[in-house]
Amino acid sequence: MMLGKVIGEVWSTRKSPHFEARKVMLVAALEQDGESLAVTGEVVVALDEIGARPGHIVTVSWGSGARAVLQPPDNRLVLVDAAISRIIDAHSQEIDGRESVVVEE
Amino acid sequence: MILGRVVGNVWATRKSERLGNLKLAIVRPYCWYNPIVPTDHVVAADQVGAEIGQDVLVCIGQPGRWMAGDCRTPVEASIMAIVDETTIPRASLEDPQVPFALRPGFAPTTLRLTDETTMAEDRRR
Repeated sequence: MMLGKVIGEVWSTRKSPHFEARKVMLVAALEQDGESLAVTGEVVVALDEIGARPGHIVTVSWGSGARAVLQPPDNRLVLVDAAISRIIDAHSQEIDGRESVVVEE
Repeated sequence: MILGRVVGNVWATRKSERLGNLKLAIVRPYCWYNPIVPTDHVVAADQVGAEIGQDVLVCIGQPGRWMAGDCRTPVEASIMAIVDETTIPRASLEDPQVPFALRPGFAPTTLRLTDETTMAEDRRR
């Protein structure tokens, strides 16, 4: 699982039948930079079923974890290896022995 | 998942019986987070009918194998969709944190910048 910031969307009409009616987003990978999160420059392509929008901080799950994000019964045979699993409201880290919380806009 | 462009096809007569009549396409990736083997191309099974020059989404690993047949098919990448358009809000690029447009090599023909607002801007209003 990793943290990322949604920056765009990928649209398509000709799809595999195992992948219909699903949104695909571009997510910029984030890393800890002091007290805040900074973009690393890497970009992830991930499926979205929870309605993330550009600007949202999200977590992306990989592999079978991505399939677990989808609702049964069709999550066994969906063509996906990365999916947005949460939209982050706030994150925290320990700085000088204290927990520093950052609430996203 | 990989965002890339189809740059060629692969044909073979002598091949594993498990491969059957699968069409194979060569995809050059634009967006590939943390590849297992860093390479400038991926050979992917194509059941969607992608043509050379089209941007596609490729799924890596076990799901790609299942879609190409069953768990014993010798395939680890499948084309899952042909991309019509990639939209990125202008505001995303203006965010100094996202040097996306500056990344060398990211040039899908289908890229379109939109005036859609990002979530942060909506909240500010």
